[in-house]
Amino acid sequence: MIFAGLPLAQLLMIAGAATALTVLLYVLKLRRRPVPVPFARIWDAVFRDRQATELFSKLRRLLSLLFQLALLALLILALGNPKPKAAILEGRHLVVLVDGSASMKAIDVKPSRIEVAKAEVRKLVHGLGSADRALIVEMGSLPSPLSTMSSDVTELDPAIDSLTASDTRADLERGLSFAVDSLRGLPKAEIVVVSDGVLGDSSELEKHVDFGGASLKFMPIGKSGNNVAISQFSVRRYPLDKSRSEVMLEVANTNDQPVQIELTLLGDGTIIDVSRIALGPNERLPRYYQDLAGASRTLEAKIRLADGRSDDLPADDHAFALMPERHRARVLLISRGNTYLDAALLLDEYLDVTTVPPGRPLPSEHFDVAILDGVADSLPDTVGAALYLNPPEDGSPAKLGHAIKDFGFDTWDKKSPILRFLALGDVQVAEGHAFAPGPSDHVLGASEQGPILVSGVRAGHKFVALGFDPRNSDLVLRVAWPLFVLNSINAFVEEDTGYVSSFRTGDVWRIPVPSSVDSATLIDPRGGKHTVPVKEGRAVYLGEEAGFYKLVAGSGSDAVSSEFAANLSDLAESSITPVSALSLGKARAEPVVLGAPGSKRELWVYLLAAVAALSVIEWITYHRRVTV
Amino acid sequence: MGLLDLFRRDSAPRASKREHQLFDDEFQRKLEMLALVSRRVFAGRLRAERRSKKKGSGLEFADHRDYVPGDDFRSVDWNVYQRFGKLLVRLYEEEEDLSIYLIVDCSTSMGFGDKKKFDQARRLCAALAYVGLANLDRVTIVGVNDALVSRMPTTRGKGRIFKVFEFLSQLEPRGVTDLGTALKTFVAQHKRRGLAVLFSDLYDPAGFEAGINMLRFNKFEPYVVELVDPAEVRPALKGDVRIYDCETGEERELTVTDSMLDKMQRAALDYRASIERFCAQKQVPYFPADVNTPFDELVLRVFRRGGFLR
Repeated sequence: MIFAGLPLAQLLMIAGAATALTVLLYVLKLRRRPVPVPFARIWDAVFRDRQATELFSKLRRLLSLLFQLALLALLILALGNPKPKAAILEGRHLVVLVDGSASMKAIDVKPSRIEVAKAEVRKLVHGLGSADRALIVEMGSLPSPLSTMSSDVTELDPAIDSLTASDTRADLERGLSFAVDSLRGLPKAEIVVVSDGVLGDSSELEKHVDFGGASLKFMPIGKSGNNVAISQFSVRRYPLDKSRSEVMLEVANTNDQPVQIELTLLGDGTIIDVSRIALGPNERLPRYYQDLAGASRTLEAKIRLADGRSDDLPADDHAFALMPERHRARVLLISRGNTYLDAALLLDEYLDVTTVPPGRPLPSEHFDVAILDGVADSLPDTVGAALYLNPPEDGSPAKLGHAIKDFGFDTWDKKSPILRFLALGDVQVAEGHAFAPGPSDHVLGASEQGPILVSGVRAGHKFVALGFDPRNSDLVLRVAWPLFVLNSINAFVEEDTGYVSSFRTGDVWRIPVPSSVDSATLIDPRGGKHTVPVKEGRAVYLGEEAGFYKLVAGSGSDAVSSEFAANLSDLAESSITPVSALSLGKARAEPVVLGAPGSKRELWVYLLAAVAALSVIEWITYHRRVTV
Repeated sequence: MGLLDLFRRDSAPRASKREHQLFDDEFQRKLEMLALVSRRVFAGRLRAERRSKKKGSGLEFADHRDYVPGDDFRSVDWNVYQRFGKLLVRLYEEEEDLSIYLIVDCSTSMGFGDKKKFDQARRLCAALAYVGLANLDRVTIVGVNDALVSRMPTTRGKGRIFKVFEFLSQLEPRGVTDLGTALKTFVAQHKRRGLAVLFSDLYDPAGFEAGINMLRFNKFEPYVVELVDPAEVRPALKGDVRIYDCETGEERELTVTDSMLDKMQRAALDYRASIERFCAQKQVPYFPADVNTPFDELVLRVFRRGGFLR
C-alpha cells in the first residue's frame, strides 16, 4: 500500500495535530449540558443513584471520543489516497481515437454507430485499472482531444458524452500522428481506434506514422453497410438566361446488390421533381436536369429506397445546393445608336438599360455599369464600372497607342471571366487602335500589333476597354459578341457564372466575402454562430456539417450576408461496410479486451463513505442522547 | 443597528401581545359568567352583608361581656342584671364588607416553562378578584417573592376590574421565593384581617409552611391555590446534564436515566402530597390548579367545593 495523495510524513503530522485538537475539544466538551429546573431540591431524592451511573456515563463519553478519533483517522487516510502498490506500477497510457466521420452516423446498429462506440468506450474507461490513464480524442477531418490524459472517470465520462459524428471523413493518419505525439515518452502506451473501419486507404500508413513503441488496438463498430448516396450535386444558371438553371447530380449504390431508389428534387423547399432510378451493384449514375424551372434560390436532393425503407446511412441521402442570387443590373448606355449593342443587351432580361446620347447630362442615380460606345465622357461616382468600346483619345481610361489595321485577336486570356466561352481566334477587324496600358492594367486580348482589349481600375472603378469599333469587325456577327458584353457586365456586377453551388464537408472552405472586413459571422445549419477570419476577401472555415450556411460580414446597416451550401459528397465515406480488423500495411491492429466494469476502484471514496456512515450513526446517537 | 437589536425590537411587541391576550375579550366574557354563577352559589345572602367574626354594633346578638366604664348604657343587658345582678354588655356581630387579599407568587419559578404557571395564576387571581368586586367586597392584590414586590391598593366595585387587569399585566416573575419573609411584611402592612388567597407553586427553599403559617398566625383566613405544571413532574431530560435551580442557581450534576426520572416523578408527587397533608392538618383550604386546565373550569371547581367565600 502506498499513498498517492499526501506523503506519509505529512499525514502523520496532520494526524498528530488533529488528534491533539480533537482530544482538547473533547476535554472542553466534558462540561455538561446546563439544564434549568424550577426547584432543585426535588432532585435531591434522585442523587443517591448518581454514583451508580457515573461509571457508565464515563464509558459512553469515552466511546464518543473513540468515535471522533475513528472519523479523523478515516479522513486522514482518505487525504493520503491509498492505493495498492502494484496498481501504481502497472499503469497504462491510452489514447482512444473515436471515429467521428459521417459513416459513424450509420444506423445499422441501434441507435447509431457513434452511440454504440460511445458505450464501448465508456466500458473501456470504466474497466481501466486505477493507475491507467486515458485521453479521449474525436477523430474527424482533424483530431480533437476532448479530455486530458486522466484516470478520473468523472472527467472522462463527460468527454465521452460529447463525442459526435460530423459530415466529414476521418483522417486516420492525422489521428494516429496526434496519438503518437501525445504518448511520446509515456510508458505502456496504447492507441485504441474505435471505428467502423471506413477510413480510406490505410495500407501505406505504416510508412508514414512512427508508432515509437505504442501498441495499436482496434475496436470495430457496425455490422452491415446497405447504403445509397448522393455523391455529387451541383447547380448553375445558364450564362445567357439566368432565370433558368441546370442541375447535375450523381447517385451511387455502394452495395453488391442492385437497388431501386426514389430521387426527389426540391426547389425552395417545394418538390419539383420525383423520379425512380434503378442502380446496379456498386454503380454510380450521373443525372442531369436541364432547363430546370421552379427554383430561385435553394435546391435540395433527397433519395430513399423505393420500397420505403431507409438505408443504413441517412446522412448522405440529402444534398444541398444554392443558386447564385440574381439581381437586376442597371446599365447606362451612352451611344449614338448601336443595333448590335442593343441586341446583345436584350438577351439578358435582368438588365435594366438606360440609354443617353453622348453630350447630354447623365442621370444622377446609381448604375452598375456604363457602356460608352465610341465616346469617353466623364462618369460620375454613381457609376460602378465602365465598358469602353473604341474610346477616343480624350477621356480613354487606357492611353491610346498607334492606329492599327486588319488585325484580330492573336492572344487572349481564356481564364478571364470576361472572355469565358468566347472563340475569338478568327475575328477580323478592319481598323482600330492599340492601347498603351498602365502598369496595373491587365491585357485581356492583343493582336500582333498591340493590346486591343484591356481591363483595370481607375479611381476605384473597374473598366474594360476595347480598342476598335465592333461594327468595324465581324465580331458583332458572332456568338462571341453578346457573350463578351454580358460577361463584362457580369464581371462588373460580381455575378460569377462559375459560382460554387456547394462546398464539401471536411475541407477548409474559402467563402467569398463581399465586404472588406477582418472577420465574419458564420451561421451553421443548426443556427449556431461562429466567428470566422477573413483572409484576402475570403472567409476561412473548416466545415463539418452538411446543409445551408449563412455568412454575415460587417455589422448594422453595413452588414452584407451571403448564403452557401455544404454537402458530404464523399463516396468513400458513403461506402460504410464495416471492417472487423484494421490493417496498416503489414501491421495489424490488435483487438481490444475490455476489463471488468468497476475494477477502477478508488479507496479514498470508500473511506469517505465510511466517514459519512459513522457521522450518521454519531448524529443519531447524539440526538437519542446515547453518547452524550 | 446590530443583530441583537432586531431581536429586541421584535421581542417587545410579542411580550405586550401576550399580556394583551391574557385578559382578552373571551376572558372577560367568562368572568361575567363566573360572576353570575357565584351569585347563584351565594343565593339568599344580601350583597355586602357577609358577617364578619368581628363583634360590633350590628343587629344580630353574638355574646356578652363585662361592662367597663365608658361603655354605652344602651347596650347594657338589663335583663341579665335583674336576674344575676351583674352588668353585662350585649355584643352584636358587626355587618361589614369582606376583605379579600389575593397574593400572587412572583418568583422566577412561577415563570418557568413559558410562564404557564404565572399566567394561570394571574387569570385565576383576576377571576376571583372579579367575583369579589362584583359582590362589593374589598379586594387587594399583592405580588410577592422574597419580599412584597407590588401591591394594588384596596378597591371595590366591579368597574375596577380593569385596574386589576392592568396591575396583573405588569407583574413579572423574578427573584427568589421566600413566602415567610414576604408575608411577614404583608401582614404587617394589612391590619384588617380577611381572606388571603395564595397563588403559588410553593417552591420555597425555606419551606412552604412558613408562608401559610404566617397568615394563619396573624388571623387571616388562608386559602392555598397551588399551581401545578405536569411537565415539571417528569421533565424531558436525558443523558449527562448539569441541572441548576432557576431561582437560586444551585447546581447538581447527574446522568439522567428513565429510572431516575421515575424517582424524580415520585419525589415531585411526594412534595405535593406533603403540601396537601399540611393544609389538611391545619384546616387550610387547599386547591391544586393544573396549568393545562382552563381557568374558568378551575374557578367553578373552587365554587362547587365551597368554602372559598363565607
